[in-house]
Amino acid sequence: MTSIAMQRRRATASRVWAQFRGSRQGMIGLAVLLVFVAMALAAPLLADVRELNPVFARAQGNPQWAPPSVFPPLGTDYIRRSVWAQFVWGSRVSLFVGLAATVLTILIGSVVGIVSGFVGGKVDAIFMRVTEWFLVIPFLPLAIVLASVLGRNVWNIIFVIGITSWPSTARLVRAQVLTVKQRLFVDRARSLGAGGGHIVAHHILPNVSGLILANATLAVPISILTETTLSFLGLGDPSAASWGKTLEEAFVNGAMARNAWWYFLPAGLGILAVVLAFTLIGRTLEEIANPRLSRSR
Amino acid sequence: MRRFIVLMIAAVVAVSLVPIASAQEEDDQITLRVGLTQDWEVINPTSGYTVAAYEVWNLHYATLTDKAADDFATTPGLAESWEEVEPGVEYVYTLREGLTWSDGEPLTADDVAWNINTGRDQGWDNMVSTVGNIEATVIDERTVQLVSSVPDPKLPTMDVYLVPQHIWEPIATDYDAATQYAAEDGVGSGPFVMTEFTPGQSVVMTANPNYWGWEGDEPPYDQVIFRLFENPDAMVAALQQGELDAAQGFPASSWDALEADADIEVVAGQQGGFDEIAINGGAAEGQPHPALLDLEVRRAISHAIDRPAVIEDLWFGLASPLETMSPSADPKWIPEIPEENQFTYDPERANQILDEAGYMDTDDDGIREMPDGTNPIVIRHAVNTDGDLAGSIGDLMVGWMEEIGIGVELEAYDQDALFGVIVDGTYDTFYWGWVPFVDPDPMLSYFTEAEIGNYNDANWFDPAYDALYAEQNQEVDPDRRLEIVHEMLTMFHDAAVYIPMYVAPDLQAYRTDTFEGWVNQPADIGPVIFSNTSPSYVQLTPIGADAGGSDINWLLWGGIAAVVVILGGIFLARRSQTTSDERE
Repeated sequence: MTSIAMQRRRATASRVWAQFRGSRQGMIGLAVLLVFVAMALAAPLLADVRELNPVFARAQGNPQWAPPSVFPPLGTDYIRRSVWAQFVWGSRVSLFVGLAATVLTILIGSVVGIVSGFVGGKVDAIFMRVTEWFLVIPFLPLAIVLASVLGRNVWNIIFVIGITSWPSTARLVRAQVLTVKQRLFVDRARSLGAGGGHIVAHHILPNVSGLILANATLAVPISILTETTLSFLGLGDPSAASWGKTLEEAFVNGAMARNAWWYFLPAGLGILAVVLAFTLIGRTLEEIANPRLSRSR
Repeated sequence: MRRFIVLMIAAVVAVSLVPIASAQEEDDQITLRVGLTQDWEVINPTSGYTVAAYEVWNLHYATLTDKAADDFATTPGLAESWEEVEPGVEYVYTLREGLTWSDGEPLTADDVAWNINTGRDQGWDNMVSTVGNIEATVIDERTVQLVSSVPDPKLPTMDVYLVPQHIWEPIATDYDAATQYAAEDGVGSGPFVMTEFTPGQSVVMTANPNYWGWEGDEPPYDQVIFRLFENPDAMVAALQQGELDAAQGFPASSWDALEADADIEVVAGQQGGFDEIAINGGAAEGQPHPALLDLEVRRAISHAIDRPAVIEDLWFGLASPLETMSPSADPKWIPEIPEENQFTYDPERANQILDEAGYMDTDDDGIREMPDGTNPIVIRHAVNTDGDLAGSIGDLMVGWMEEIGIGVELEAYDQDALFGVIVDGTYDTFYWGWVPFVDPDPMLSYFTEAEIGNYNDANWFDPAYDALYAEQNQEVDPDRRLEIVHEMLTMFHDAAVYIPMYVAPDLQAYRTDTFEGWVNQPADIGPVIFSNTSPSYVQLTPIGADAGGSDINWLLWGGIAAVVVILGGIFLARRSQTTSDERE
């Protein structure tokens, strides 16, 4: 890579950052997200992991169904566990699953989209028919069936989310690749004797990466919501203390009937906040990558 | 786009209104609505295994002899009388006059004999422990003779469900054909026959006018609907709001709220039901962790399980302690286990047992290894996702085992999948429960070698236990039989493959303003529905003209609202993805 290209890329990055900083919604999203990332990383400092263990909780003498006023900061659940510990440690699982599933989604979607758009012809036709096939399959039932067939652990959940949510990314990337492919510099590179791999790596990919990044940011909340949904339906990993699992346990054990708001509210609001943060960031990035979006609003 | 969502909601609401409205108009029938939380799974009476399915059979199939509501004494059923020719060996039963199946076909001695002989020869799962030694011979249309090849203490009681020969004979060509038959033919001999089965949702049972046991000429109400609830709290709410007449298996946490309701009666039905944590004894093809094959390890695990805590925290004191399996609705069959052999909660002692047996944590990671220093003891605990407490017990299991240096991996299965996992032996521990019959024989038979790969969910057997089983099976002296059973259960306890958690009452509640005549079986302490023979259904009479309230299910509405919200959420989230796609 020449230093000119490097410089140009650095300039682009700082331009994007400057634009991003100028967007209020983007900065709010980023701030909220950083709070949760910090919480996930600092979980061992914020709450003793043993508080997730009901046997430990009982030995500690924790009360049952205690509201926050009795057992600060967030009260206890039906088997005496600290809700705060579940909230803090749950952020790790939810964020991890959300991000890992997104990586998988974006990876499959980008590869299919780039190959389809760049190669064109029969390959394009076949790839797009497969993509359409995945698009029309009802998303949640497919995820439920896969999750129950594959077995319930974190990696399978990630796989299920990834395999069910890539098609829209693939179509988006393909569309962008189709326009980039027509640009003059691609023809120039080709006439200079560049091969397909070189063109994709040096000319196509840099030009669709902004879009992929924006799309990835928007895919995270969907992944997190899907993980929550599957966990809530009892299809999550029984040993992963995610926010979805907290919600499921609260529901199954009668937190609603008891008005034990402190049990389900933190996890619910946590999901809401993280999903909102990612959406705000994603929208901002999308507008930067595709300025027409902001004008049309 | 937003307008589109609103339209979509309106459309969903409109569509869902139509079937409800029409169902209500047609519905001038008097219906008993019963809520439950367990799915039926297999509805075939020769091979099903859920409590929910047994309740359906209790209504659908009459038995040769019935059981008294008060004390389970053997009373006339299809047979109006019987004559004892030789005690424990030969009996001659006389059927009631003019018996017919619900489809009008006559029910004769041929039906009885065919069921007993075919069930025995083909080895139907739910019959073989009762009729395994019995030969039935038709004397005439209303008379059937039963002869047991060995003395049988259970006779003259004959409580297996009798299926209609004219439907089943062409189907039941062998064991597989009989036990895998869907059994949704709707022909029965009991007070209500199953006319509609929607797995995972409901069972509709229609009153059988041909049933011999109605007080008057006509059944006092038209149908029984069993409705499955995924969420027990939703069931409790439905009962409180009058959308159910009775609910079975509600959570202990709702006890106080229901007890306080003036129109609702709560019942903590005692009939010997218990829950257990089973440890894979290694007799199936799939093997447990090798450490579990060591009795000392199983004993240590048993000492590490805090049963009083479960009774206090999850049952709010409504369950009572139990030390060995409860084989019968009658507690006299449970032996007293000497205190020094009881598996009292004592993690220190458990650790000591493991230390002495040589299972040390050689690499200091908090998990013990096998005595040779390899293969850390991490066990797979199967969580039954259909069980209301199974998730909590799974979390507790992780905590209990951590105290004694044993790792636990939780694996989730639904109830039917878990049954398969148990048969295959591909688990280390699981938590589930049993509701025994009146005679202890069937429960005792489950832990014999013959039941490996079937009902033996301990995957454990012992030839000495099998010998005692055969002995009690033929012992007609009740005192001697009791002694043998006590010996068997003590032996089973000491093998530490089955850690009974507690005697679990069946928590039931019924409305006092819709039906009356609820019957406890056994008297005073027993459940009113889902009991051994469930006599309530025949005795119930509706109060006033309108027994049922509005049939509109608020749950359905809640479900629709939830689906719309979720769909809307996903839609909005996805929309942000598609906008740029559309505008490209």
